[in-house]
Amino acid sequence: MTERVDLQEFVGGFVAEAEELVAAASASLKEIEAANAAGTTRPKSVRDLFRALHTIKGLAGMIGVEPIVELAHAMETLVRAAERAGGTLRAGAVEVSVQAVQAISERVRAIAEQRTPQPAPESLLAALAATDASSEQPSAPPPIAKNWDARLSQGERQQLFVALRAGTPGWSLTFYPTEEKSARGISIATVRTRLAEVGELIKVVPRTLKGDDGKMRVAFDILLTGPTTAEALAEVVAATAAEVESIALAPEPAPAPSDEPDSDVTPMGRATVRVELARLDDLQEQLSLLIVSRYRFEREIARLHEVGQDVRRLREIADVQARQLRDLRRAILRARMVRVTEVLEPLSLLIRSLARPGLKELRLELDAAGAEVDKAVADRLLPAIIHLVRNAVDHAIEPLEERRRADKAPAGTIRVTCREVGGSQLELAISDDGRGIDRAAVARKAGKPIENDEDLLDVLTAPGFSTRDVVTQTSGRGVGMDIVRRIAVADLGGELTVHSELGAGTTFRLRVPVTIAIIDVFSFQCGPQAFVVPVAAVEEIFELSKSSEVLPPTRGHGGEITVSLLARGDRPLPVVSLGALLRIDDGRRAEKAMVVRRNGELLAFTVDRMIGRQEVVVRPLEDPLVHVAGIAGATDLGDGRPTLVLDLAELGAGIRERTRA
Amino acid sequence: MTKSLHVTFRVGTADYALPAADVLHLESFEHATHVPGVPSYVAGLVQTRGRLIPVVDLRARFGLPPIEHAIDRRIVVVQVGPRVAGLLVDSAREVLQLDGDSFEKPPEILDHQSAGFVKAVATVMKRLYLLVDVPRVIGEELSHG
Repeated sequence: MTERVDLQEFVGGFVAEAEELVAAASASLKEIEAANAAGTTRPKSVRDLFRALHTIKGLAGMIGVEPIVELAHAMETLVRAAERAGGTLRAGAVEVSVQAVQAISERVRAIAEQRTPQPAPESLLAALAATDASSEQPSAPPPIAKNWDARLSQGERQQLFVALRAGTPGWSLTFYPTEEKSARGISIATVRTRLAEVGELIKVVPRTLKGDDGKMRVAFDILLTGPTTAEALAEVVAATAAEVESIALAPEPAPAPSDEPDSDVTPMGRATVRVELARLDDLQEQLSLLIVSRYRFEREIARLHEVGQDVRRLREIADVQARQLRDLRRAILRARMVRVTEVLEPLSLLIRSLARPGLKELRLELDAAGAEVDKAVADRLLPAIIHLVRNAVDHAIEPLEERRRADKAPAGTIRVTCREVGGSQLELAISDDGRGIDRAAVARKAGKPIENDEDLLDVLTAPGFSTRDVVTQTSGRGVGMDIVRRIAVADLGGELTVHSELGAGTTFRLRVPVTIAIIDVFSFQCGPQAFVVPVAAVEEIFELSKSSEVLPPTRGHGGEITVSLLARGDRPLPVVSLGALLRIDDGRRAEKAMVVRRNGELLAFTVDRMIGRQEVVVRPLEDPLVHVAGIAGATDLGDGRPTLVLDLAELGAGIRERTRA
Repeated sequence: MTKSLHVTFRVGTADYALPAADVLHLESFEHATHVPGVPSYVAGLVQTRGRLIPVVDLRARFGLPPIEHAIDRRIVVVQVGPRVAGLLVDSAREVLQLDGDSFEKPPEILDHQSAGFVKAVATVMKRLYLLVDVPRVIGEELSHG
């Protein structure tokens, strides 16, 4: 059991680190690609790429994610070859590598979302193995037995060549079907199956030959690679070991010694410490406690001053402390920031995987300048951006032919820009130069008029709305536009707008805060509505049993609020009905009480029942109409309706007054 | 001569109008989250188009008794300076071109009774339209508090 828990603990760290490494790997690939385009080489990028892969492989092995290990290993083999070849990774190899990094990235995501990662795609592994790092065209063909050379395609030759170079033996053999063999259950089908179990089949070619009896017969020439023996193979085809031919490469020149031994490969050379977000949250919580105790300190100074004490020295110290606290808060906020450029890194992989050469070509422009964003915001934002990009590719960017007819550049451009506005917000724009949204068509589908971009957004983000009846492969999965809006608006307290011009393209703009207040809350029911309180503000929650409550004397008819007493531990605990306090009591029997501390004194609020505990984003209530003491803000528990966040300690402040008759 | 678009709506038996330029959009009304401790004419909080806005119940604000089952109720979302708020109305009727010249000051005798909520009155085709003073209705005095 404990082993499982340990593994779970690893997973968080794994995901964080793997994501960073994937970002580093794709950054290296981009550098290599740029170098290729410029006709130069970037040995350093190739080395970086190798290190990132090597580390990913190690990490994935640690938590036992075989598909990632396989992919990273296959890529590592390819990149190592490139490194030895003087840092040359040609376009073809880059292409395959990009796909592999994308595949790794998808599996890391799966783990982050606690899904089981898909197995490594065989075709991709084969492509990696078949790709030669340093040459565009296959280099000198390896000596191949029989007349294989002429019968292999370029890809097959590569596959063989790479396997041989990696030290996997190659084999050439021939299967002669006979009736007698077939009676023993040995046919070309069973041979294929059994051979595929011991190695990688590269090619099976049938040919005809004249048998001993002068009749024409069929034979199958088979080429495969795999860590097996001539004897084992001979047994499969019911032949003798001598008939199985082993294929090897001519000895290569000794590889240049690599500049560091394998064991010494360090993950990234930067002076960076990875910290789990939860720890930074914790730090922030501690800071808010510090701020609270500072208020106490100030009050005490004020009290001393009132009774005629000289508090000048204390004031000076308090002022310095206030400044230091502000700096500390800023420093903690900074520590949570990540560069938007890095956050958007996966988009280049996405675009590659969505492009269809010759049918739909794509170009991605990223411009995030130096913008930074809270990691918590980034994590929520990325799925929305990915969806918008997918949508753009799928619905907006026209096929190559159509673009040509419309006199547009062949490659559709997706442009993602990000800039800071007003120091506390980010504006992200996801634009395409595609066909634009046909308002009239959308209006027909939605059955209501669309007069402006706002109406359009309303329809597009209505749950379940799709302009296409056929769900396409790319945008049919994942989140819908309604979720994009929810992320931007409800989760992050931001704004989503759209502007579309028929024939010219569409731009979605997201305006989100650079940082958000995410707090851990208890949700509960009180009277007709649900509320939440910060977990940090609650000392204790207990079950009410009426019997132990005592009603102290009340003067006259008592006031609007009645406080009762309860023996809790070794102290009397005042208890007040939250429903009565908020004037929403519906006469239901309260089941639970929540204890908070107010000026050092404990106070319990009764509530109907607890709903749960969750993390929410709190939005402040700024309008004076709803600015009320004791209400810290509002949040969305997922139903699209605001739920109030209560500050129970502050609510407790007015109780004494309201108990007066 | 200065004609401009106005959004018109009904509260009780009266028709009201607002310059369309001050209206962001209309929403159907389903639910508002009650906020304890606010004035009784505040229906509560509503989340719409990325905003968390307070909604003023114009029936309550205009001294009318609440109605239980009203399917036509709409929220007229208005912007006043930096503030965005919703006005809960019985029904939102139509958008009309109203001539600026047709508006006149409400009769002085109403000053106290209507607490300045009506800025002007227009008579169009024998029908009265009361121009709402939005800052007053959403409590401009609160903004300075």
